[in-house]
Amino acid sequence: MSAPEASVQVSFKNRAKTALADRTLKIAIDRTTGTAEAKRAVAVAAFPEFQDARARGRAIKDHVIAHLDHYLEQFERNATASGAKVHWASDDAEARAIITRICLDAKAKLVTRSKSMLGEEIGLPHALADAGIERVETDLAEHIIQLAGEAPSHIVWPAMHRTREQVAELFKIAHHPPPAADDPATMVQSARRELRAKFLGADIGISGSNFLVADTGATCTVTNEGNAELTTTPPRIHIVTAGIEKIVPTTAHALSLLRLLVRSATGGELTQYTTFHCGPKRPGDADGPEEMHIVLVDNGRTRMLANEFREMLRCIRCGACMNHCVVYRQIGGHAYGGTYPGPMGSVLTPVLNGLAGSRDLPNACTMNGRCAEVCPVEIPIPTLLRAWRIRSWRERLEPGSLRAGIGIWAVLARRPGLYRLASRIGVRAIRLFGKGGWIARLPLAGGWTAHRDLPRPTGRTFMDQYRAQQADKGDRP
Amino acid sequence: MTARDRILSAIRAALPQERPAPDAIAAEAKALLADPDTSRPRLVAEGLVDAFILKAEAIGTTIDRVGGMEAVPDAVRRYLSGYGLSLSLAVEPTPALTALDWTGLDTGTTLAPDQPAALGKALWGIAESGSMIVHSGADTPILLSFLPLHHIVVLQESDILSHLEDYAAQLAERPHPRNAILITGPSGTTDIEGSYVRGAHGPGFLHVILVASTD
Ligand code: SF4
Repeated sequence: MSAPEASVQVSFKNRAKTALADRTLKIAIDRTTGTAEAKRAVAVAAFPEFQDARARGRAIKDHVIAHLDHYLEQFERNATASGAKVHWASDDAEARAIITRICLDAKAKLVTRSKSMLGEEIGLPHALADAGIERVETDLAEHIIQLAGEAPSHIVWPAMHRTREQVAELFKIAHHPPPAADDPATMVQSARRELRAKFLGADIGISGSNFLVADTGATCTVTNEGNAELTTTPPRIHIVTAGIEKIVPTTAHALSLLRLLVRSATGGELTQYTTFHCGPKRPGDADGPEEMHIVLVDNGRTRMLANEFREMLRCIRCGACMNHCVVYRQIGGHAYGGTYPGPMGSVLTPVLNGLAGSRDLPNACTMNGRCAEVCPVEIPIPTLLRAWRIRSWRERLEPGSLRAGIGIWAVLARRPGLYRLASRIGVRAIRLFGKGGWIARLPLAGGWTAHRDLPRPTGRTFMDQYRAQQADKGDRP
Repeated sequence: MTARDRILSAIRAALPQERPAPDAIAAEAKALLADPDTSRPRLVAEGLVDAFILKAEAIGTTIDRVGGMEAVPDAVRRYLSGYGLSLSLAVEPTPALTALDWTGLDTGTTLAPDQPAALGKALWGIAESGSMIVHSGADTPILLSFLPLHHIVVLQESDILSHLEDYAAQLAERPHPRNAILITGPSGTTDIEGSYVRGAHGPGFLHVILVASTD
C-alpha cells in the first residue's frame, strides 16, 4: 500500500473522534445504512430458504478454497483458450506494474474504470496518475469521490459519507452544464450526460470481477448502473483485476452465490446487470474489446490460506457486516484508515498493512456478533478479530502500561484467594468515587467515563454474594 | 520464480499434501449444487409466464403481451407513441427482428447519440427473477442494450426458464459467448444517500414485448 504503515495505528482514535463529532457524516451514514439494513431484512424474510442458501454458499467457497490451485489452473487454461491473457501478481506493486505496462504499451491516454475494491486495494488510482494516464471512474459513487479526491468509505456505497447537498456542491463545479437542482434524480442525469463521452472515448476499460468461473474462463461483473458494460465494451482493451479467492467452479455456482450477494448487499434480488466476460471480441462480433487481460492478484491471500484467517477468504464483499456494525455506523468508513472498512476491514487491514500499524482495528469491536449473524457466507468475524488480538499480545504490540495492567490481572486470576481479596478492596475503593448509583469520573477509566457513567458497585463482590447465598441454602432443610 | 509459481506453490504449501483427483473434485463441486430447491426462491406464481411477469413488473420493467412476432412492430409503435417519442429506433440486426415489417418506423442498426430507443431480442427469460438474457454475437451488439434511454426487448413466452440454474445449464451446452448478460430491470443507482434513481448509465426504461407461444 502507498499509505505509510503506521498511519492506521497512530491516528485511528483521532480519526474516530473527528468522525464522531461530525454531525453531517452521521446523517449521511444513517441514511444509507438504515435503508440497507431495512431492505436486507425484507429480502431475507421473502426468501425462507435463505439460511440453507447461506450454508450452501459457505460450502461452495470452502470447496474452492480447499482446491484453489486446481481451480486457478483450470481458470487460466480456459481464459487463455478464450483469447484472454492471464497475468499473475504476488502483491500490489506487481499488479500495479502489470497494469501500468499494459496501459503504456497501448499508449492509452484515457482509461475508464468500473468500481472494484481490489483496484483500490492495489492502489491503482495512484499508479495510473503517476503514469500520466487520465482515469475516469464510471460508477456514480466512485465518480463522486473522484471529484472529491477521497477514498471509498464503504465497499458497496463508496460515497455514502456524503449527503446529497455535498454531492450537489461537487457536481456544480465539475459538470458542464451544472445540474439544475440537487435532488438525486437530477444529479444522476447530470452524471449520465457528463460521463457518456468518456465511455465512448476511452482507450482502455478496467473492471474488477465478482466471480472467476473456472470451467469457462469467464469473469463476472455485477452492477446496477450498467457502467461495467459501458466501461468494458467500447475501448480497445479490457483489463480485469481479481483476487485469487474469487474463483468458482461453474456459472451455476456463481449464480447461486449471486443470490446471497445481492440480497445481503442492497436487499435486491439480482443486480440489474450481471455480465460474464469471456475473452476478447470474437471474429464477426458486432462489438467488444480486441484484447482482454486478467490480472490475478494474491496480495496476502495465500498467507491467509496458511494461517488462522483462512475463513476470511470466503468473503464475497457484500458489505452487510458494516451496515449492521454499531461501530461503523458511528464513525463511518474513513476512520478505519484502510481500503476495507468495518468488521471485514478490521480483519483484512492487518493482513494488508501489517498488524503493528492497525492493532487498534480488531480492538475497536464490541463483539456483539451482528456481523457474523448477517454474513452470507457465515464468516465468524468476531472470532477472527479475537485471533488478531491474541497475535497482537503474542507479538507484544500493546503499550507497556496495558501489558503491565493485564499482567497484574493475570497473576491475580491464577490465585483465587488473592483475586477475591483484591476485588473486595477494589469494589470498596471504586464506591468512593460514586454518588448515588453512578460514577461520573474514575482514575484510569477516562475512556469509559468520558462518554457514559459507570454503575457504582453494590459494595460486595459477586463471589461474596454467591457464597452468602449458598450458605443460606445450606441452612435450609 | 515467476509470480505464478510463487502463488501456486504457496497455495500447495498451505493445503494438505494428499489431494483428490480432478474427477473427484468435479464430483464434489457438482454435489454442492444438488437439490437446488432447498436453497433457492420459489416462483411467485404457478406458471412460468405469470411468475416472470410479476417479478419483472416488481422491479420496474413494463410488459406488453402480443399474440405473435408479426405484432411486434405495432407494439413498438404503441410504446414509442405512449412516451411521445419519434418513431425512430435502432433494431438489433438479428433475423427474427429484421424479417418483420417495419413500414412506418424509421429503423437502423446503430444508435444515433440523440436516438432514445433500441430494440433487441432476449434469448431467454427467467421466472425466478424477471431477468432476461442477452448473448453477444455478430447480430447482437452489446451496446444496444446499454446506450439507449428506452430499451425494448422481445421475449418469447416459450423461452422463459424457471430458475437461474436452468439458464446456467443452457449456457453450458453451447460455446460461451464473449458476453453473457442477465438484465434484471432498468438501470438504477442508490449511490446518493441510498435513494433509488432510475437510468444511471444504462436504460432508464426497460420494456418487454412478450410474444405468446404459437403452438
Ligand atoms: S465478511 Fe461477510 S458480511 Fe462482510 S462483506 Fe464479507 S461476505 Fe459480506
